[in-house]
Amino acid sequence: MVGDLLEDFYNVLARKGFWRAHAWFWWQALWLGLGYCVFRFWQPLEHAARALEIERMLEALSPQGLMSDVRHAVRALRKDLGLVVFATLITGLGVGATTAVFSVMKPLLIEPLPFVESDRLVWIANQGDGGLSSGMSRTSNLRDFRELSTSFDGLAGYFAFFESYTLTGSGEPERLTGVAVTDDFLRVLGVEPMLGRGFTPEEGAILGSPAVILSHRLWERSFGGDRSIVGQSLTINGSPSVVAGVLPPSFDFASYFSPGSRVDLLTTFPVTDQTDAWGNTLSIIGRLAPEATLEGARAEMAVILEQLQGADPERWGLGAALTPLQRVISGEHRTSLLLLFAAAASVLLIVCVNLSSLLLSKGIRRRQEMFLRAALGAPRARLLRLLMTESLLLAGCGALLGVGLARLITSAVAGSSSVTIPLLSSVRVDFGALVFSCLVATGAGLAVGILPAIQASGVGSAGELRAAGRTLTSSRRSRWLREVLVVAEVAVACALLVVGALLIQSFTKLLAVDLGFQPDEVAAWPVDTGQEFETYGERVAFLDSLLEAADAVPGVSSVGLVDAIPLGSSRLWGFGVAGRELERDEELAMFPHVVSDRYLETMGISLLAGRGFTDADTQETEPVILINETAANSVFPGQEAIGQALLFRDVKLRIVGIVADVKHLALEMGSGPEVYLPVAQTGDYGSLDLVVRSELPLDAIRGGVAAAIRSVDPSMPTHDVRTMAHVVDQSVSPRRFTLTLLSGFAAVAVLLAALGIYGVLSYSVAERSREIAIRMALGESAQQVRGRVLARTLGLAGLGAVIGVFLSMAASRFAMAMLFGIGATDTGTLLTIPLLLLAVAALAGLLPALRASKVDALRVLQAP
Amino acid sequence: MPKVRDFELLVILAILRQGDQSYANRVREDLEANAERRVTRGALYRTLDRLEVKGFIRWELEPSEVPERGGHPMRRLEVTADGLAAARSQGLVLQRFFAGLELGGTGRSGE
Repeated sequence: MVGDLLEDFYNVLARKGFWRAHAWFWWQALWLGLGYCVFRFWQPLEHAARALEIERMLEALSPQGLMSDVRHAVRALRKDLGLVVFATLITGLGVGATTAVFSVMKPLLIEPLPFVESDRLVWIANQGDGGLSSGMSRTSNLRDFRELSTSFDGLAGYFAFFESYTLTGSGEPERLTGVAVTDDFLRVLGVEPMLGRGFTPEEGAILGSPAVILSHRLWERSFGGDRSIVGQSLTINGSPSVVAGVLPPSFDFASYFSPGSRVDLLTTFPVTDQTDAWGNTLSIIGRLAPEATLEGARAEMAVILEQLQGADPERWGLGAALTPLQRVISGEHRTSLLLLFAAAASVLLIVCVNLSSLLLSKGIRRRQEMFLRAALGAPRARLLRLLMTESLLLAGCGALLGVGLARLITSAVAGSSSVTIPLLSSVRVDFGALVFSCLVATGAGLAVGILPAIQASGVGSAGELRAAGRTLTSSRRSRWLREVLVVAEVAVACALLVVGALLIQSFTKLLAVDLGFQPDEVAAWPVDTGQEFETYGERVAFLDSLLEAADAVPGVSSVGLVDAIPLGSSRLWGFGVAGRELERDEELAMFPHVVSDRYLETMGISLLAGRGFTDADTQETEPVILINETAANSVFPGQEAIGQALLFRDVKLRIVGIVADVKHLALEMGSGPEVYLPVAQTGDYGSLDLVVRSELPLDAIRGGVAAAIRSVDPSMPTHDVRTMAHVVDQSVSPRRFTLTLLSGFAAVAVLLAALGIYGVLSYSVAERSREIAIRMALGESAQQVRGRVLARTLGLAGLGAVIGVFLSMAASRFAMAMLFGIGATDTGTLLTIPLLLLAVAALAGLLPALRASKVDALRVLQAP
Repeated sequence: MPKVRDFELLVILAILRQGDQSYANRVREDLEANAERRVTRGALYRTLDRLEVKGFIRWELEPSEVPERGGHPMRRLEVTADGLAAARSQGLVLQRFFAGLELGGTGRSGE
């Protein structure tokens, strides 16, 4: 057969090419193998059955037979409610876990993004292939790529710094978060507004007519789903803007591009020299032309970049790294989700093993019944089917529970705004997930049932029945089978525990990281005013009065202003050093923060040398700057940094102090070079936050601070306050999410493994009570009996643990990307976990051991 | 003697048609080309097995020189005397029923 197949394979190869021929080959081989094996397996049965009683065989395969099987299975299961409850519970756990993880994975990894031909969308980062938050580009890059590239149907961008807007005119002033996009943004993504239209090029021009597109949620929340809103004018930041359209509910900008945050409206971003001067601020997305490929586009981009750099050697910030959009969005979560899925699947595996071993022991008890049925003429196929129906029914009950469980988990996950995983809000148990859980349950039912069914239905001679009737002893083979199952179960549980333990240790290490600031007792209010000011001095005076009013609130110990709170957004400015000749591309890229004088104190950032800002630093005095430790060490190695000056846009900024490093991007990432500029001297920021330190709980000062803010600007919304502790928490949320689920899975796995050990041993003690009684009658002490049972337990668990350690070494290598401060083969963990498992196994084996040693030899041996 | 089914009859005839070149692949090609039906590999092998159990055919493995087969031997199929007899009697049945029928347009169209 193989030869025939190979011969034809070469024919197909010549006609259809490599891939299709290989696909053909494996498809044929699969079907041939499956079909032929089934046939070979069935044929003897069929013959035997036909030789005996064809009619009964046919009846066994008829649908009526099936119904009677189901009826019988229900009756049999009703007699053993304990088993049903236990099996339903654990199968429910397994199916629930896999279905829930599948549902979380589905929108991110399995389904294409819900854009038109989303596989043609490409993320064009400035450099590298970092995630969503990195790789911003200059506006001039977008302009030139649009002009020179032929690989794209369209290139669009969005301003990576979300802005806050104040909506007034209809009741309470409301703060909205908006993102500025180029006018063709929706067209490139392939998103049709639900109502109205996208932006026009006129609206996208620099001083074009202001227009906004509302998110579906804002439209429902603030405008009650009013369809006539399109074309009306809203007062945003004090000036009128026309509502061009409303986004469809399926397109929630934030859930794709900035998970965990909220975007209420889109505004326009003009592609001009002015916006280019802002530096790397734009995230670029392109749609490949129908005939273009990613590789082709990459090659073309390389040529374009060279051409542009050649035309203007001075040009900086030029770069284009192309990645499929889906990869960028799922990005770092891919590994953790796959890991979770593997963990859930392992739990399911353990569930199956447990259940299988349970049914095996139950099957032995039912041998008499099976024999009777066979004696009365039931063919083996019929017995097999009967037993399989039972296990499928059990799995079905489990699936019902599992789907319920998965719904609970997914609704909890989808409703939580504190986990920053993309597309989480669209997670639900939908039809696909239902199909998935049905498949899983059926698979589990078959897998669980097949071994016990084959064993129980394979009844032999009348002699065996007599033997079975008397001692209920299972064959050596079936005991061996159950022990193999236990070993497998312990091994999988061990691997899960090791990975879980590594992740927990990473997490605690991460939480113990020195943030560089003290997040406790600090809360932040966004304070962007819609007011217009004649001069920057007036704006500063406004901010001063805001600070003063907030500081006067009882319980507030310190207040400050900042344009980028830690663990929020990032941006880079290029600085020069006074007295050093630097080429344009040698400029020092540093993360600037515009802050008020008491910001450091409020945040708890320590000043290492020099002085902080004071109210004496004003527009009239010399421009000053603070740098962090990393900047001081990298820019002025071995020199005194204080007193030196940095250059920004040809302005000399005197360094007056050095502050401690702060974790600004993520807890896992080190701090880069950062600088602080006084808000009194620079207006170069997007939005400001008022940070307030108070020993009182947030609720005690919330009203006071809000009133203080409104006393300065009555139109400023005050409800969207966050505590810094929450901000920190949110930044570790994906990790916490993975960790919580994974440790849950690991705990369930260990529990089930312990149950499995207990079940197998107590069964083996029960069925061997006769043997034990004889041994005791011959003089074995109770202690020796206990010792033997325990030794067996530890032997099985030990073997499982050893295999588990090897398994976990492979698994943790896979989880490497998620580890922090700990190696994938951490010796401590790899030693401790198996020992822990052995201890659990010993506990599980203790009860059967005690029971064995209490066997009443006389009574057992006298029993008929 | 066991009964021979429709498809089994076709397979026996196809084997006979190949003469001394009656290998499974040739038989399948012949059936696909001339019997106006798709023949999956699995169905053919199953039928061959069944025919062998019934004693209608037998085969011997021959070493193969064809490089594509990667050294796997070929099965040369042969119809046994029983197989010939079964095919012949089935043919006679068919002939008896065809005899004297005018099939051109005399059947009921089913409308």
